[in-house]
Order: sequence, then C-alpha cells, then structure tokens
Amino acid sequence: MRPPPGRQQLSREFIAQHQRARIIAALAEETVARGYRAVTVADIVRRAGIARNTFYENFSSKQDCFLATQDYAVDEALRRVVDAATEVESWQARVDAGLAAFLHYVASEPALARTCIVEALSAGPASLERYEESLQSFVPLFRIGRQVSPHGGELPETLEETIIGGIFWIIYQRIILGETEQIEQLLPQLVEFALIPYIGADAAKQAAA
Amino acid sequence: MAADPNASESVAEYPPELSRLPPGRHGLPREFVVHNQRERLIAGVAEAIAENGYASTTIAHITRHAAVSRRTFYEHFASKDECFVAAYETVMEQLRERVANAFDEQEDWPHAMRAGIDAMLGFLAAEPNLARLSMVESLVAGPVVVERYDAAIKGLVPYLEAGRKGRSPEVLARLSPTTEEALVGGMVSLISRRILADRTTELEDLLPDLVEFTLTPYLGTAEAVAIARGA
Repeated sequence: MRPPPGRQQLSREFIAQHQRARIIAALAEETVARGYRAVTVADIVRRAGIARNTFYENFSSKQDCFLATQDYAVDEALRRVVDAATEVESWQARVDAGLAAFLHYVASEPALARTCIVEALSAGPASLERYEESLQSFVPLFRIGRQVSPHGGELPETLEETIIGGIFWIIYQRIILGETEQIEQLLPQLVEFALIPYIGADAAKQAAA
Repeated sequence: MAADPNASESVAEYPPELSRLPPGRHGLPREFVVHNQRERLIAGVAEAIAENGYASTTIAHITRHAAVSRRTFYEHFASKDECFVAAYETVMEQLRERVANAFDEQEDWPHAMRAGIDAMLGFLAAEPNLARLSMVESLVAGPVVVERYDAAIKGLVPYLEAGRKGRSPEVLARLSPTTEEALVGGMVSLISRRILADRTTELEDLLPDLVEFTLTPYLGTAEAVAIARGA
C-alpha cells in the first residue's frame, strides 16, 4: 500500500502494532542467532531498531516477549490454516489444504518457526507449556474427521493429540537438520499420516496424492 | 513393589533415608561406597529437579536429597549439568532395557509392540520423578541433553520398522518413509504432555490408544484395535 501524500498521519494503534511486530521479529532472529538463554533485551532492542523504553512499553521482560511471540505465531498459523481449509469442500481436502498452508508458513518464516517449534521447547517451563497448549488448538480441525470415518465413534480419545504431536515432531526434526526451506515436500506424507487412522491407508494415500 | 527382585536396580528404589550408609567406619569396600554415593546423587538430582525444576535446582538441593556432602558431590561430578546428564543416561538406559526385554519376549511383532509400549508406560508411571527428568526437564537442560533426547527418541524407530517385515507389497507401498518417525514422535509427544501436566499416574491408561495408533498403518484398523484391546 502506498502511503498517502503529504504529512503522514499514522494512527497510534498502527504504530504500536508495527512496533510489536518488529520486536517479535527481532526476538525470533536473535533467538536463532544466539539461543534463547543468551539473548538479552539489549540484543532485541538493537535488532529491532527501537528504544529500550519502547520495548518495555510493549513487554515486561524477555520471557513475556517470547511468550507473545509464540502466541503471535500460533494465531497467524491458525488463521492461515483455517482460511486455506475453508476454501475446499471435503474434510480430506481440508486437511491437505490446511497442512499445505501450515508448511508454507513454516518455510516462509524460518526464524519464527525455529523459535516457536524448536527453541520454545527448551526456553523454560512457561514456554514449553505454551507450546503444548498451542498444539491443542489444532485438535478441532482434525477431530471433524471422526464424522467421515466409518469407525469414528470408536477412535481413541487421544488420537488428534497424537497425530499433531507426530506432525510437529517431524517438522522439529527437519528444522534442526536445516531443511526448513524444503519442508513443503513433506506434505503428502504428513497428510497420509494424519488421515490413515480415520479413513484407512488406501484412501489416505489417494487423498494425499 | 519393593518385593520385586527385578526392580532392585531402579535408582528410585534408594530413597536417601534408606540407602544412607551408617556414619563412621563401616568396613564397606570403597568401591561399594563410591557406587552407592553416585546412585544416591542420581536419585537426588531427580528428586531435587522434580521439586524445583531444572533451572532453579542447586547443588545444595541435590546433596541434601542425596544425603552426601558437597565435597562428595564434586568427587563424582564437576557440575549440576554433569550430574544431570549422568542421571538422564541412567534413566534412559533402564528404560531402553525394559522396553527391549519386553519386546524380545514376544513371538510376533504386534504383540511385541504392545509389550514394549506397556513396559515404557509402566516404567514412567512407577517413577514420576524419573519420568519428568527424562521427558520434560531434559529439554530445558541445554543442547547436550536435547541432542541425547532426540537420539533416544530416534532409537525407538527400529522397533516400528520391524513391522514392515513380512507385510504384503500393497501395505509396504502405502507406508511413507517418515511413517515410523511420525508414529514415534506422536507417541512420545502424548506421553510428555501427560507428564508435563502432572498426570503421570494416567500414563498406563494410554496403552490401548497408543497400540492402536502405532499398529494401524501396518495392520489396518480392525487388527490393530483387536491387539490394542488385548487380543
């Protein structure tokens, strides 16, 4: 979008949101570069190009900023997944479209992905708990599959949690191996993995192809 | 539990008050004393971490739980991290052994998987401190331990890969190269979530769910469910 001509009148809200986004991006970059423990507020402030005061107007501490980064990434990922999934009809196609959108987001934001999928696990109990909660927010998207499954009523209660855990584990491993950019290649395998318990291996393979 | 002779190697079987050697001259061989101290320190670090979390645990916490002196601590370990790694390795070694033994005792692969998962859940449920140490605190204990953790999880992959043996070409054709990795990751993630939520006592209830989940890609739903339910 082109800025309006003449003197720029940006709303306070716009500036505040923009600053927050810059700080979050800076935290992710610093975390990837140094590891969470070594990062200081001074590093984040320098990378974001903002005043120290501005940081503390937005966040109470480095940990607060880290947790906010996790929330931001999960909200954004969920928004993208839901948008992509609502564009198609069948549940199988929705899983495919949703996972495609998710993997695309991971590949296009490698620093944020590493921060929230790898570093979050070792950044302390609060962020580990936040990470586990965030996985839970994907459960309803899969759970709909019970309605299309011939044995939907008998599927284990824990199934969705386990599937999501498996998908995140695969993504975690690829990020650690430095293969974040190629992560979208995993799409058919992950779709198949997610669908097998609901519709069986043959139908899952067809849907994933 | 104490009556089980097979359980005697477990480090958590040595609570400090019971395993503490009598003070003064006890005439025990030095090697035995040193070994006993090391085991107590390992149990001590697990208890201290369960109480305080990894980051807040100090060497004083560990030596108090182990009922040894600070000096003794430093005779065995250079740092808290080193003590933690030793404890982590001890737990994982026990866990690996239990799983391998349970798995090997069975005739066929599906029942071996069931027995292996059962052994893992049973061990973790019986040892909540060690469960927390190995599956939760290991992640926050720095890169050295995280690498070992990742390797330990990958070490479970061959148990699942064994399920490919003897399957029909149609079944093999539909298994993707990441099937085992995803199944192991899903299983471990579910277990870790329960431990993190302090629901370790419920771990054994997960047996049928996890058996069904891991067997389904190889055997199909009907057969997987039958074995999950104890057939």
